[in-house]
Amino acid sequence: MSPSTSRSASQRLAGRTAIVTGAGQGVGEGIARRLAAEGANVVVAARRADTGEPVAAAIRDAGGSAVCIETDVSSRESVESCVAETVARFGSLQIMVHNAFRGGIPHRLEDADLDKHWNHMSRTGVWAVMYCGQAAWPHLRHSGATGRFIILTSPSGIEGSANIPLYSPVKAAERAMAKSLAREWGPSGVTVNCIGPVASSPALVTAFERTPTLKGAIEARTPLGRVGDPEADIGSVALFLAGDDAAFVTGQTIICDGGSFLGL
Amino acid sequence: MGSTGPANIVIDGTGALADSLRAAAIAVECPTTVVVTRIATRAVPFDQLTDADFDESWEQPMREAIEAFQAAHHARHERLIALVPTIGMSGAAGLAHVAATAEAVRVMVKSAARQWGADGMTVNCIALAPELFEIDPEAVGAVSLAPLALAGKGSVADDVVPLIRMVASADAHHITGATLNADGGLWMTS
Repeated sequence: MSPSTSRSASQRLAGRTAIVTGAGQGVGEGIARRLAAEGANVVVAARRADTGEPVAAAIRDAGGSAVCIETDVSSRESVESCVAETVARFGSLQIMVHNAFRGGIPHRLEDADLDKHWNHMSRTGVWAVMYCGQAAWPHLRHSGATGRFIILTSPSGIEGSANIPLYSPVKAAERAMAKSLAREWGPSGVTVNCIGPVASSPALVTAFERTPTLKGAIEARTPLGRVGDPEADIGSVALFLAGDDAAFVTGQTIICDGGSFLGL
Repeated sequence: MGSTGPANIVIDGTGALADSLRAAAIAVECPTTVVVTRIATRAVPFDQLTDADFDESWEQPMREAIEAFQAAHHARHERLIALVPTIGMSGAAGLAHVAATAEAVRVMVKSAARQWGADGMTVNCIALAPELFEIDPEAVGAVSLAPLALAGKGSVADDVVPLIRMVASADAHHITGATLNADGGLWMTS
C-alpha cells in the first residue's frame, strides 16, 4: 500500500474515535489510514501487533493519531477489552468498523466440512458482528447522531459464490444484521451500513495466486476495469459513511467494486 | 431430520410449517428436498443477546441447513427448495439474530445453484410471511410503508404447497438461484 494519505485540510472526523478491525493489512488498513487522515483517532485492531503496529506507526508518522490494540474478533472478551481500552485512551467511541475476516478456501458445497470450511468464517464474520456491535453500542448510543457501525461485507453476500459457497451465507447474514440493527438503533441516531468491496488485499492476492485466471475475469467484468485500492477507493466510501454527510443513510450496502456487481 | 412423505419428496425440518407440509403429502414431479429453515422466534434486543442465544438462533440452524443441503445433493434430488421468512431481506428490530439465519440460507441457495446446476439440480428459495415461521408479527413491526397487498395471512395449503409443486415440476427446469416471494406482497424488493 502507498504511504498514508497526508492529513486532509477538512479534518471531517476531528475529535472522533474509530476502531477498525483487521486494520493490519488490506482493506482495513486502507480504511484506518483514510479515517485518520481526516482527523479521527484510530485504533488499529489487529490480531497480531506485528502487522497492526506498523500501520499505527505510519499513521502517526503522517501526523495522525493511532494506536494498535491486539484484538481477536472471534473472542467476546478480546473485543470488549479493545473497546474498553479505546475509550479509556481517547475518551469516547463514535465509529466501529468491522472488517476483520478469516477468509474461506475453495470447496464443493456437498463435500464441505463444517470445521474446515465454515467455523472460522462464521466466527470472524457473523459472531464478530455481534461482539463488535454489542461492545461498541453503549458508546455509539452516547454519541447519538455521530455514532456509526460499518460492516465490511461482499457482493458474494448478495449473488452467491460458485467458488467458496459457504462464504456467501456469512456475508449475507452480516447484511441482514445491519438492516435489523439500522431499524433497532435508528431512534438513537446511530447508523448501521455495509460496504461490499472488491479491492487489492492479501486475501485477494492469494486468491489470484490460487486461481490465475481470476484477476483477468474480475477485470473483464468490471466496467472500471480494475480492482479497487483499499485506501483511495474503499477508505473513501468508509469515510463518507463515517462522517456527517451520511447521517441519513442507514441499513444500506454500498457495493464498491468498480461496477462489477450491478444487481441492487 | 428428514422425513419422507410421498416417495420422491423429503421435508427436512421441524416445527409447525414442516409438519403441515408433511401432512399435505405433496405429490411432486421431480425428486425434491424441501428444507424448512429452523428459525428462532423470540425477539431479543441486540445488546442483550448471549452466546447461547446466538448459538441457538444462528450457529445450529445454519449447520443443520448446510447438512440438509448436502443430504439433498447426496440423494441426487433434482430439486432443492429452501423456505425462509422474508425477515432476512427486510431486517427487523430485535430480530437481528433471526434475520441473519434467514438471509444466509437464502443466499446459500444461490451458491448451491451455481455449483449444482451442472449436476442436474436446481436450487431455489421461497420466502414466506414471518408468521408462517411462528414469528410474532408485532415483533417484526412495520417493514414497509405500504400495507399488505393481498388480504389474509397466507396458508400452507393454499399458498405454499402449490409453489413447491410448481418449482418441483419439470416445467421449472430453467429456474435456479431464484427467490419467490410469497408473503402476500409485503416485501416487494428483489
